[in-house]
Amino acid sequence: MYRFFVLRNDNSGCFGGHALIRLWALLLCSGIGALAQSTAPLLKENPPFSTRATHLLGLPNTKSNCKGRLSTQDSVLRFQQNGKPVAELDIASVRDVFLGEEGVQVGGLPMKIGKTAAPYGGGRVVSLFAHKKYDTLTLEYVDSNGGLHGAIFQLEKGQGELVRNELVARGVSSSSGDDELTKQSTSEVTHEDK
Amino acid sequence: MKTSKPNSWIFCMAATVTIAVAFSGRLAGQTAAAKSPGGSSGSGTQWSVQVERIDPGHLDLAHSFQVAIYENLLEELNKTKRFKYVLREGDSKASEIPDLLILKTMVVKYTRGSETQRAVTTVSGATKLMVRSQLTTREGRIVLESTVNGNVRFFGSNLRATHNLARNIAKVIKESPWLGSERLARYSPVNSDCGRHTSPGC
Repeated sequence: MYRFFVLRNDNSGCFGGHALIRLWALLLCSGIGALAQSTAPLLKENPPFSTRATHLLGLPNTKSNCKGRLSTQDSVLRFQQNGKPVAELDIASVRDVFLGEEGVQVGGLPMKIGKTAAPYGGGRVVSLFAHKKYDTLTLEYVDSNGGLHGAIFQLEKGQGELVRNELVARGVSSSSGDDELTKQSTSEVTHEDK
Repeated sequence: MKTSKPNSWIFCMAATVTIAVAFSGRLAGQTAAAKSPGGSSGSGTQWSVQVERIDPGHLDLAHSFQVAIYENLLEELNKTKRFKYVLREGDSKASEIPDLLILKTMVVKYTRGSETQRAVTTVSGATKLMVRSQLTTREGRIVLESTVNGNVRFFGSNLRATHNLARNIAKVIKESPWLGSERLARYSPVNSDCGRHTSPGC
């Protein structure tokens, strides 16, 4: 019990040394803090972002309606399928990004066959509940010759806005009007040529 | 004696199948050979086409639909093999190509459907698109004008309407009689009306 006190009493003579150590620790902590503050904006500027997405069409060398991961890192937008080469798009080439919403029947072809085969119209009842809303992200970009391209991705609800914000933060212009356009339920709209 | 009958049956069937396969392959080869000279526009000049972005007019057509029509059009026009080059809007190579046509597409009617409604009711919820396509020369002379529909009535997502539409546009262009370059040179505008496609001029 008394050993600590004894030791403390023994070291009390080195008060100047302790103070130095404390000062050094304080400086070190503040230095690390300052370093973290100075690097934090750099990291925040372009943190990598990744989300699951379905490529509907438009990306070069990528099949339509295939699932993968859509990610942004530095100045590149990537779409990676499982075990397939990555499709990359320079974010600087993206001219515009639009966000929309689409209701889709889930389950794909097996579900469709099952619903068709179900007796007494049971498939229709299933269809009533087997639908899901997705975000659609539409990109307009140009190639090295200046040719206009378009790419469409389908993302989980809410993810589209995150990707759009990521792209906007990297300098892509965005048209938010698409949201309203796709959400409205116009039964039929016509435009006759003048 | 009993086994000889089935054996002869099998032999006859095999011979018939072999002959049928051989003839079908030969016929296919002949049709391909007959088609190939006419397929490349029937005369010396083979035209190229530049697809312009889709004009939604005053309609509230989602950008995903516009982009899907544009991309599907490029793909379907490439599939027709009627054009030397199928170029995109803004492509700098277009200025170097002498025989270039420009494809303009304007949406004239759009009915927003619902996949769920289609799946539940079968008879309602169809997505319908109607566009006016113009194939013009560089100088702006209209070579081909037609109104084309693209619908999804039963199965498939709403975006499938854009694929059907692009396929129909490519079909109209492929089947139109403007392909002879002499005709193009003389310039006689063609209004296309192919069954389900409606044309104001017809």
